Amino acid sequence: MITSDPLTFITISPIALGLALLIIPNIAPPSMADYIRKISRSLSMSLALAIFAITTMLFLGQIGNTDWLNITQGTYVFENEPVILLESIGVRWTVGADALSFPMIWLTAMLIPISMLVEWDAKKGHIFHPLILIMEGALLGVFVVLDLFVFYVFWELTLIPMFFLILIWGGNDRRYASMKFFIYTFTASVLMLIGILVMYFNTNDPNLAGTLTGHHFDLVSMTMQSSGDGLIASNGLRHFVWILLLVGFATKMPSVPVHTWLPDAHVQAPTAGSMLLAGVMLKMGAYGFIRIAVTIFPESTIIFSSLLIILGMASLVYGAIVCMGQTNLKRMVAYSSVSHMGLIFLGIATMQPLGIAGALFMMFAHGIISPLLFAVAGAFKHHYHTLEIGSMRGIAHHSPWLAGHMMLGWMASLGLPLLAGFVAEVAVMIAFWMTFGWLVLLPALTLIITAVYYLTSMQRTIFEGGDPHVGILPESLHGEEPRDITWHENTGMLILGALTIIFGIMPFIFWDMMSEWSTDFMIETLISAMNSQGVKP
Amino acid sequence: MILSYEEMELILPELILVLGIILSILLPNVGDAKMRLPLTRMRIPIFIGGTRFKLTADPRLPGRMTVAIFSLAFLFSFLEIKSASGTIGDVIEVTQFTRLMSFIFYGALLLACIATTYRMPAKVTARAPKDSDSEARSNALISALMDNRRQVDFYILMMMVGLGMSLMAMSTNLFFMFVSIELASLAAYILVAFHKEEATGGEAGAKYFIVGSVASATGIYGMSLVYLWAGDLDFDTLSNSWSSMDSLDPLAVIGVGLMLVAFGFKVSAAPFHLAAPDAYAGSSSPVAGVLATASKAMGFVALFRVLIQITMPEEGDAFWYVLLAIIAIITMTWGNLAALTSRNPKRMLAYSSVAHAGYMLAAIAAVGSGLGSSEANEMVLIAIVFHLTILVLFKLGAFLVLSMLEIEGRSHQLKDLHGLASRDPMMAGSMFIFMLALAGVPPLSGFLSKLLMINGIVNISAGTGSSSADAILPWAESVDPVFWLAIAIVINSALSLFYYLRICLVMFFEEPESSKPLRSAYFLRNSIIVLTFLTVFFGIGSGAEYLLGLVTDAVSTM
Repeated sequence: MITSDPLTFITISPIALGLALLIIPNIAPPSMADYIRKISRSLSMSLALAIFAITTMLFLGQIGNTDWLNITQGTYVFENEPVILLESIGVRWTVGADALSFPMIWLTAMLIPISMLVEWDAKKGHIFHPLILIMEGALLGVFVVLDLFVFYVFWELTLIPMFFLILIWGGNDRRYASMKFFIYTFTASVLMLIGILVMYFNTNDPNLAGTLTGHHFDLVSMTMQSSGDGLIASNGLRHFVWILLLVGFATKMPSVPVHTWLPDAHVQAPTAGSMLLAGVMLKMGAYGFIRIAVTIFPESTIIFSSLLIILGMASLVYGAIVCMGQTNLKRMVAYSSVSHMGLIFLGIATMQPLGIAGALFMMFAHGIISPLLFAVAGAFKHHYHTLEIGSMRGIAHHSPWLAGHMMLGWMASLGLPLLAGFVAEVAVMIAFWMTFGWLVLLPALTLIITAVYYLTSMQRTIFEGGDPHVGILPESLHGEEPRDITWHENTGMLILGALTIIFGIMPFIFWDMMSEWSTDFMIETLISAMNSQGVKP
Repeated sequence: MILSYEEMELILPELILVLGIILSILLPNVGDAKMRLPLTRMRIPIFIGGTRFKLTADPRLPGRMTVAIFSLAFLFSFLEIKSASGTIGDVIEVTQFTRLMSFIFYGALLLACIATTYRMPAKVTARAPKDSDSEARSNALISALMDNRRQVDFYILMMMVGLGMSLMAMSTNLFFMFVSIELASLAAYILVAFHKEEATGGEAGAKYFIVGSVASATGIYGMSLVYLWAGDLDFDTLSNSWSSMDSLDPLAVIGVGLMLVAFGFKVSAAPFHLAAPDAYAGSSSPVAGVLATASKAMGFVALFRVLIQITMPEEGDAFWYVLLAIIAIITMTWGNLAALTSRNPKRMLAYSSVAHAGYMLAAIAAVGSGLGSSEANEMVLIAIVFHLTILVLFKLGAFLVLSMLEIEGRSHQLKDLHGLASRDPMMAGSMFIFMLALAGVPPLSGFLSKLLMINGIVNISAGTGSSSADAILPWAESVDPVFWLAIAIVINSALSLFYYLRICLVMFFEEPESSKPLRSAYFLRNSIIVLTFLTVFFGIGSGAEYLLGLVTDAVSTM
């Protein structure tokens, strides 16, 4: 199973083990239940590590021996033998990975063990770690499945563990935050479902079609169909579906003006929840948008590219400006996520291979940097019992490791060269300049705002202090001396920090396949769409 | 023998029910009474009367026996689904479709009876004061006796509902169908009013009875007009004379129209739905669950018979389809809007069942438009029957969860559901799944049926849209108005999410008034868990495939 169908294995096994670890202690005899509770976090961790090992081996070629640079758009590797789930309406279990989804799969598999590690001593660990495991299965499911019905199921399934993570381990306002999170994302995904259904009613491949309905949910076939006459014959309907999908995905990303759930959810979520939320769940929106809306309806994307620019620009600028006014560490990082996600829309809107590859790399780089920032913020909360930036000064003296990670994370996030974020930003900016000329000044200037808010908060928290040897400690400590971060927090942050540097110096590890994919996508899909719309490539 | 052996086998589940009704009248009265033979000293036992035997006088007996009877009927219905076919006399025809329907009816009633054994428990030992001769003691004993006497009434009525519904599905004659509907309805009126000690019970029953009888009377009047027109009430004859009619005979049209009033009341279609929320809210939750599932299925079978079987022309549109489409849209919108504003979970579920009736009526209207091929029409019917089948899982399941709450408390305010997740995670989880299924979230079975319905309507109508229109508005103008029924269903489903999710949210986010866990209620709890499992199981994979196959076979024999 692992070698013949690795993607199914990494999707199903965490969900199965997570559910088993949650259910068995409730029905087993007490002694056995206690034992299972005791080992459940180690079991979860080992499976998460095993999955990380498998995905790494998939990348290095130990399994399947894939040439990642020669996967053209529309072909997938590690495809399974499709299993029919519902013949009557044409639902099949079919998985596959390409250069668009694989970096996300690897990112998920990498982040899950780290977020488990950072919260290794979470309260009620026998529920916490299995929930994260279920989360992993759902997230991987979103990235690997090639059937829109199953895609939607996994998309909704990610809500449930995250909802419980916020509700049970969240801060004081957790009820409000988890409710808002649930309502926003659920409503948006219902709109997306309507879009998917309209697409469904226009499919016509007789080999895949359901016996009762005559349609199917297969994504690959929909993509093929769209490159012919277009999946939906009527242009107006096509644009309508595109807008529905945009709403669904933009809420998840999130983009202004549907971003307001994110700061609340982040501030209340536990550290591991925040890390996964920022690291992977936001990328689900971007991934789905590129995989479904952009790929299947390229003409609509071209027509509405100005809308994408407006949304992207608004998120970028608004997020950055709001960041400047934040005093809450997590809230600041959350708004910086909104700001960075704006760059993804800008990258797509450039309609250049470079810009799209930049957007893809932004997804990946932000997926490493923002978990680091949230891990730092979580450790800060854990040891200083506050998230107020102004309440204390000079933590470099008390917690040198924490201060070090904080600096690295913030530097990476503001786009320091040789760190992962820089590559993505520069690629998007160049492509933006090539397409829109001097309009590039607006996003470029926003990067200065980013630098301003990061550097001021850095100065205020890490260095500046009344007495250089003591600093000012927050009142929430009640005069106690804070300790530096624990070993498991430190290890997690060290790994993330190391990855930030590695992917800053050697971005080609994933950049090459992303850029190949974007070029293919450009040649095979976008150019013909541009010609049909009369836009010059 | 009145019935041959084969005929008895054909209607075995119904015979079991008749036996059950007779037994529950006799058994509690069995005692050691003896009669002296005249002129002798010999006393022979006659068993009826005297001192009751302890075993048979047990007040829990009627409940248990009825559960057993319904289980048997349910089981035999299931076993016969694949093989049933045959006629008895001129009025009963057993097909796979009727067996599927009786399978649904008995399943719903069985679950309701299980729930009632906890909701309205028999008092085996009366809690009476110790001192031997006080008035308080004798009052307590009498009230316990009265309570226990009511047990058997309730379960006999339940069996009558089952018998009436099942016979109704089998009838091939309009008159026999009406009598069967009345058998089920009259018993249901009493069941609604059964909790006479509660203020709402009697009012709900009276309201339901009055509106229901007016609707029935209207229907019977319509039937008499149809009889006047055709001279017969047999479905086949009526269908033949309908198709041989050159132009619409006003007598027949008015007759069918008036009958629609009666059936519209049964499925709680607007504007005949107004009594339904009161009835649901006033009756106990298991009974409300039966009204929302089995009784609704009965109404739809009647609609199938009259609308599809009799008045549907071979080609072209049926005369009722525009009217039915309008009614459908009003029904679903009204139901959803009213459910949004109602703070009583039972009322909310009642309005949601009004909305579901609207979806199914819309699907029937699409069939009536005559635009679709016969396969497309059959698919819509499959979708409706499938929806009626799985409605028993999650609609009744939701009512059973409310019954759990009612065992010791109340369930007529949203407040009563507050914090259910912390009081009883299992039940809250089940309720969550039921709500999502009602809203139609994939991969639960509620989504599958809605998808099939929408797909059917789209298949019937979307072909009429112009494919060359390059903007949304010209295309929308070119498509047949039937297409908008699908849009109405989609919009209404999205709207309905809000009130379903509100139930989920209060279960998880609000603080409970008392943190006391719910009673264990072993069988009821496990039934709910099984229903939860089936809601998922019939939504995707081989389970859904199997059930769809069953429904497809059944619909082909309709």
